[in-house]
Amino acid sequence: MDPLSPALLALLLVGYLVLAGADVGLGMLMPHVARGTEQRRRVVAAIAPYFLASEVWLVGAVGVLAGLFPVLEHHVVTGLWPVLAVLLAGWLVRDAGLWLRARVDGDRWRLACDGAVVAGSWSLASAWGLTVAGLLTDGLTASPFTVLCAVAVMALFALRGAAFGAERLVGPADSECADVAARDTRVFARTALGTVALAAASAPLPGGPALSALPVAAALTAALLVALAATSGLAGPMLSRHTSAAAIAVPGLLVALAARLPSTEIPSTVEVFVWASLVPVVPVMFVGQVWLYRMTRRPAGAPTFFA
Amino acid sequence: MFEDPLLLARLQFALTAATHYTFVALTLGLAPYILTTQLVATLRGDRSRMTAVRFWGGLYLVNYGMGVLSGLVMELQLALNWSGLHEMFGYTFAAPLALETMTAFFVESTFLGLWIFGWDRMGRWAHLACFAVVTATAYASAWWVLVSNGFLRNPVGFEMVDGVAHMTDPVALMTNPAAVMAFGHIVTSSLVVGALVVGAVSAYHLIRRGDPHGVFGRGVRYTAITMALTSELVAVFGGMQFGYFGEDPPTSGLTYTAAEIEAVEAASEGGLVRAANSTGEILMFTVYAVMFLIGPTMLLGWLVSRRVQGVRRRRWLLAPLVAAPVLPYAGIVAGWVFRETNRQPWVVVHHLTTADAVTPMSPGTAVLSFGFFTVAFAVLAAVTYWLLVRYARRGPEGGPLAERRTEHPEAPQEPAAPVHTF
Repeated sequence: MDPLSPALLALLLVGYLVLAGADVGLGMLMPHVARGTEQRRRVVAAIAPYFLASEVWLVGAVGVLAGLFPVLEHHVVTGLWPVLAVLLAGWLVRDAGLWLRARVDGDRWRLACDGAVVAGSWSLASAWGLTVAGLLTDGLTASPFTVLCAVAVMALFALRGAAFGAERLVGPADSECADVAARDTRVFARTALGTVALAAASAPLPGGPALSALPVAAALTAALLVALAATSGLAGPMLSRHTSAAAIAVPGLLVALAARLPSTEIPSTVEVFVWASLVPVVPVMFVGQVWLYRMTRRPAGAPTFFA
Repeated sequence: MFEDPLLLARLQFALTAATHYTFVALTLGLAPYILTTQLVATLRGDRSRMTAVRFWGGLYLVNYGMGVLSGLVMELQLALNWSGLHEMFGYTFAAPLALETMTAFFVESTFLGLWIFGWDRMGRWAHLACFAVVTATAYASAWWVLVSNGFLRNPVGFEMVDGVAHMTDPVALMTNPAAVMAFGHIVTSSLVVGALVVGAVSAYHLIRRGDPHGVFGRGVRYTAITMALTSELVAVFGGMQFGYFGEDPPTSGLTYTAAEIEAVEAASEGGLVRAANSTGEILMFTVYAVMFLIGPTMLLGWLVSRRVQGVRRRRWLLAPLVAAPVLPYAGIVAGWVFRETNRQPWVVVHHLTTADAVTPMSPGTAVLSFGFFTVAFAVLAAVTYWLLVRYARRGPEGGPLAERRTEHPEAPQEPAAPVHTF
């Protein structure tokens, strides 16, 4: 089977987890790292440029899933319908909070929107945890593994958000947001380390993962544990930018490489059609992403459209 | 009635699509106007036109936000609730949608981010180029979606292999008359929506004599010219689509025999769908008849006002324009209701019925999901329209993209952040 199209799907999914993990995770941590209106504004201002460029990866992944892998899509949707509905609801609530926050100048309005961002981010992360667990166990099972895997994925989101906040929230001297986030990286790395180890230990129990490539899964899990261990110690916040990215990529890679998913031959005409239409646009997609991430590396001084 | 997951899934899709499209139409209608204004502003270094770009751009973004929210739900819901459609027609119906997500929406969202955050961080030509990309991809997005939608109406360019449609002729898919004509219809009718929204906002401010930057005088002239030029084309592209309405699609017979097709159509439910279909048709033609007159009337009024003394001072003559956006909004929703109900009982004409396309789901979850998304959409759409009206009334000084520095020179600027980057 042509490896290009599955690689595209995996790239979009892993790209989403790595990039959106940062802004979803920071959304989860907002009540913890930010105190008061101004600090919360800075958290939303940190999230805002990123979410526009990160959620499109998931939209692209869903598109590729539907257009090139309809059998796999059917398998995922029928198996995980309620979880995916929660994922969609969380996504809607979160984005609504982000788009609407700066539109009305009132404390209650901002509080409601910030609440939507936090609640939506938590729903997204937990729905992703259950989705990963459900894909690894080939259908959701009521088992210790499902719970531990879901918690581990949520911890990875939170770790990614803390690492993002530790660098992005550095600001006025009287603001402690970045320091709180930096301290959090170690806490979440340890939480994730513990739950991943427990989840791996619980895998042989009934309802555990049904994998197609056990050695690959073992190697990926080992890599995940190493990345988390590196962030758990003294070097925590400094390395967390890279280790959190590597860590949150692992659940995506596990699903892509080791889960038992139905695979079918993609008809060649549709594959050629999609690739021939996609390839000319790839440079534009690439330039836009790199440009936006580079341009917004430093937080904007004045309030922008979002916060 | 509400125990039936199929009915709930259909209602949910109709509400999602109608809500989504009302925001999409304004996005498509405003983008070319903003782009042209920004081009002229950049060429001439014209500050008053840049004020106009910031004003209309602010409305564009508020509207775009709801367009994205409803679009995300639309895409995911299509995958979640209509898995039968994807199972059979994934390679044909969903492939253009896959290209839409990557080549259009992916680029559009990223470059819109660059445009929003780039006002003070990039050169004016680069900033203009960002919006040019946003406009182009907005239209590319509409194009791909209509290739998919046109396929449902007039399925072409595939063969059936073990009950799954395999694409054989991408060119036939792309040149499908049900997609090409619909694209023309969508483009022209969206320009009408944009023009009448620009006209309504401009008329409101002109009547109140608040136009220090000339934003609204230019707005009304744009409305008059666009309405005069595009109204006929809306009818031309719409009328041309009736050509294939009575005909069988060229692939008819690949899935069902003629007798089976007849049996399915005879057994199909009539009442509600047929009533919605004729209501949509009547409403669409009625509002169109009124809108057709707006352009010529405005041009005539403009000519008269140049010849006859005193007409220019009677600005209340513009008052009907303030209410005019109701017409195209009613028209586009009615048009979609007409198009989509016209196809029933089929989701893909002569190949797959709507009832067979729905994901099997328990009534409980169907009710829960329908309830949540309907309430969320109602609230979000209401809030967005309230915000649009509020920003439109505030004028160029109070918009979300208005230049803040001149407005609050004393506003505390955050100190430049240290070199920490991410």
